[in-house]
Amino acid sequence: MNTTSSKRISDQMNRQMSLTPRWTETLIMAFQSVAKVKGGLIGAIFISVMLLSAICAQWISPYDPNAQNIIQRFTGPGTAHLLGTDYLGRDILSRIIYGCRIAVLVAFGAVSLSSIIGVFLGVMAGYNEGKKFDYFIIWLFDIVRSFPQIILALAIVAVMGPSLVNVVVALAFTAFPFYGRIARAQTLSVKEADYVKAAEAMGQKPLTIILRHITPNIMAPVIVCLGMDMATMIIWESGLSFLGLGVRPPTASWGIMLRNGYKYIQVSPWMILWPAVAIALSMIAFSLFSEGLRVALDPKERER
Amino acid sequence: MLKYIIKRVLWVIPTLLGVLIILFSLTYLMPGDPASAMLGPRATPELVEELNNRLHLNENMPTRLGYYLLGVVKGDLGTSVWSGHSVSSLISSSLPHTALLAVSSLGVAAVIGVFLGAFSAIRQNSPISRFVTIVSLLGVAVPDFVAALLLVLLFCVKFPILPSIGAGTDGGILGIATHLILPATALGIGWVGYLSRLTRESMVDVLDSDYIRTAKAFALPQRSIAYVYALKNAIIPTITVIGLGVGKLLGGAVFVEIIFNRPGLGKMIVDAVYARDFPVVQGGILVATILFVLANLLADISYGFVNPQIQYD
Amino acid sequence: MNKENPLLEVSNLTLDYRLGKKRMRALDRVSFQLEKGEILGVAGESGCGKSTLGLSIIKLLPKIAEIKRGEILFEGRDLLNTSENDMNRKIRGQKISMIFQNPQNALNPVFTIGKQMTDILRAQSKYKNKKMRSSRFFRDQAIGRLKSTGIADPSARLSNYPYEFSGGMKQRVMIGMALSSGTSLLLADEATTALDVTIEAQINRLISDLAAQYGTSVLYVSHNLGVLAELADRIMIMYAGRIFEMGTTTDVFDSPSHPYSAALLESLPSRQARGKRLLSIPGIVPPLDNLPQGCSFHPRCKFAEDICKREVPPLEQVTDGHFSACFLDNKRGRKRLKWI
Repeated sequence: MNTTSSKRISDQMNRQMSLTPRWTETLIMAFQSVAKVKGGLIGAIFISVMLLSAICAQWISPYDPNAQNIIQRFTGPGTAHLLGTDYLGRDILSRIIYGCRIAVLVAFGAVSLSSIIGVFLGVMAGYNEGKKFDYFIIWLFDIVRSFPQIILALAIVAVMGPSLVNVVVALAFTAFPFYGRIARAQTLSVKEADYVKAAEAMGQKPLTIILRHITPNIMAPVIVCLGMDMATMIIWESGLSFLGLGVRPPTASWGIMLRNGYKYIQVSPWMILWPAVAIALSMIAFSLFSEGLRVALDPKERER
Repeated sequence: MLKYIIKRVLWVIPTLLGVLIILFSLTYLMPGDPASAMLGPRATPELVEELNNRLHLNENMPTRLGYYLLGVVKGDLGTSVWSGHSVSSLISSSLPHTALLAVSSLGVAAVIGVFLGAFSAIRQNSPISRFVTIVSLLGVAVPDFVAALLLVLLFCVKFPILPSIGAGTDGGILGIATHLILPATALGIGWVGYLSRLTRESMVDVLDSDYIRTAKAFALPQRSIAYVYALKNAIIPTITVIGLGVGKLLGGAVFVEIIFNRPGLGKMIVDAVYARDFPVVQGGILVATILFVLANLLADISYGFVNPQIQYD
Repeated sequence: MNKENPLLEVSNLTLDYRLGKKRMRALDRVSFQLEKGEILGVAGESGCGKSTLGLSIIKLLPKIAEIKRGEILFEGRDLLNTSENDMNRKIRGQKISMIFQNPQNALNPVFTIGKQMTDILRAQSKYKNKKMRSSRFFRDQAIGRLKSTGIADPSARLSNYPYEFSGGMKQRVMIGMALSSGTSLLLADEATTALDVTIEAQINRLISDLAAQYGTSVLYVSHNLGVLAELADRIMIMYAGRIFEMGTTTDVFDSPSHPYSAALLESLPSRQARGKRLLSIPGIVPPLDNLPQGCSFHPRCKFAEDICKREVPPLEQVTDGHFSACFLDNKRGRKRLKWI
């Protein structure tokens, strides 16, 4: 028997035994039930609007976000400029929409990078429970978790230099141990499950077992964390940009807008108010959505 | 219990060692030559050479790490590239401001949050309960540095009734207190919301438990059932969260100190970042991290005292 | 027994649970009497309202419960119209005590046994307007209570936390708190269900010994007929919130007059001859918000007739002191009910 045919047979056996739950199905079901949870749907709609404005910023924003018009600076909300203009006469609404793009980009980038690394390390550690590798990973997680997160991110950006990519890397580095710990704890319980034991008994390779049988089944709590973490990343991106350690001006970012607003706080309240509102709305959206996810993925809550 | 505490304390040592290694290796992330990066436009060959010698930047990595660790153990965190002051003296002058801010905001927030949460669990559907819902939503929606900006806008620009700049150290106790109100509120409001919601949720569960039913069946006074028998159980998750919260709080203090121009640890770190004063950045972060580690240690130990059934392995 | 003056008299007690728009009748016209020093066993499958009965006597019902009508007279006092304050000052924990199903969670996990016991004793002494006593006094009292339940080395045990006690020991603590010389009525709600069989026997023995010693009446709720047979003077069989049969233990066990009681007895291993099949009653207890018309047991009853589907059988006396709620029995005269 050659290797390809033996692989086919083992695949077939896997499918027939179907001991491993199909996680794609679980995920789709979960998202459907998020919509049923009170608030979950509102959160999902909000987030869709955010995504849409991030993707279609150049088509939906009324002005070029960087077009200056010194004559029309510091105007309040009006018909020409729906949310008013800033100290250079730039349209605030357009900058909010473009700022959304940065926020979404950083949040998605940092969250996916940190969750992939964290889950990978966590699963590997959990699978090798009690071995030196496990202790090393736990140690690594505990070290990074010891730093106040935003201060560590700030330091990393400070030495690497402020830029979009560096912000993403810095934020991801501070967050990965949290995913790692969840993944490790979950792996410890999942690896005792019958379908993992069955796969081991069939002589599947550890890597196959980890990728096919363990990882898909530890994702529920990780996914719940993703939602809340997105919100945190959005705050921190604007925080770093507010300190001048995030994305570079004149790029429109909510944090940079707040920074400029703070400079001109005596002149115009709108420059602070509107980005603050944008941040508040996105926070509410993500917290409603992740609360919905939590309820949807928790079988105990679903029964209520 | 004692074994748990000892284990927990001993684990701090390798963790802090790792923290030092990370802080040390940050210098390697600097693009180009660290000494000229730190000196920036001021860099002359002589100054670069002098700084390289002072920070042992010409040595190989293990030697440099050795110097660094030795220095930290001796309590020497280096000297500021910019001002020439020792980093420890800079920290000891800025730390009290941050400590005062952190303790007053988290302390007040914890007391208010726990009692609001407990009270709203006991009186469900009361105005207090609705208030807790609103505050916790507000806490989620408005992160601390945005809250700080809005508070400045409201109480210093629109209705100028509170000071917005500095720590008020010249004004005596009253000056310090009035200068503390806005920054502490900015930092604490989110915590009030979060802790009150957390306490409410766990309190609702606890009030529904068998042992509370027992207490009622034996006619213990209602107040002691709620605020002693139930609250001590309900507060357990809150304690852990407060420990973890110190990290967030120190992070938030960075922004609040910048916005209110308070000469605290956070402002020191950010100013040093702007000035590329790397030893100060390193030292500041180290102290903030040690504070965070100690806070977590304290939370874990008090958790052990509140919950006698602690299992630790 | 003093027939004219029962300790507890429950009449026509009817109680609903409201859950959203659903209304569930948990108790339906429940009437019975409990004499001084008597042990009344209440039996039935889970969800038949046995636990609700105990909770309504000590007035610790969940908020969703609503008493529609009926009366509970305890020592001549109308409990349903007794204020919460008076319940605490005069009744709960002093005249009426209750022990619960799951001793694992019945004690507060974060306080020592000693603190929990002395807190209760102190509160009760205050209610009785006794002069302030020292902590030492309450501690000694707590030690006495523990000793009465057969816990070894009680003074050292006071500083233990509940997790250091086994389930049986916790239930002993509960009994020690619940039973003292002043207790008139003990409500025991499945007090031994969660325990091992050997421990269960010990605990039941303790309850009946202490009850006899203090002259306490006991309302012993259990789904275990075997336990009730040993313990109870009289038995009350409940189903879906109604009393189906009530009589002395001998009457109910030897000549059950309701098909449901007969079926319960036939499903007891101890009462069947070796090698004979045990009965399992077909079907399940109907959900309380969707009870069948007529007798609520008729869909599961082997002897059901047309009238059972239309009308609710009243609880009527069969012989002296033996009551049953079944048309079969009332209209057809007595006959042996055999399921298998």
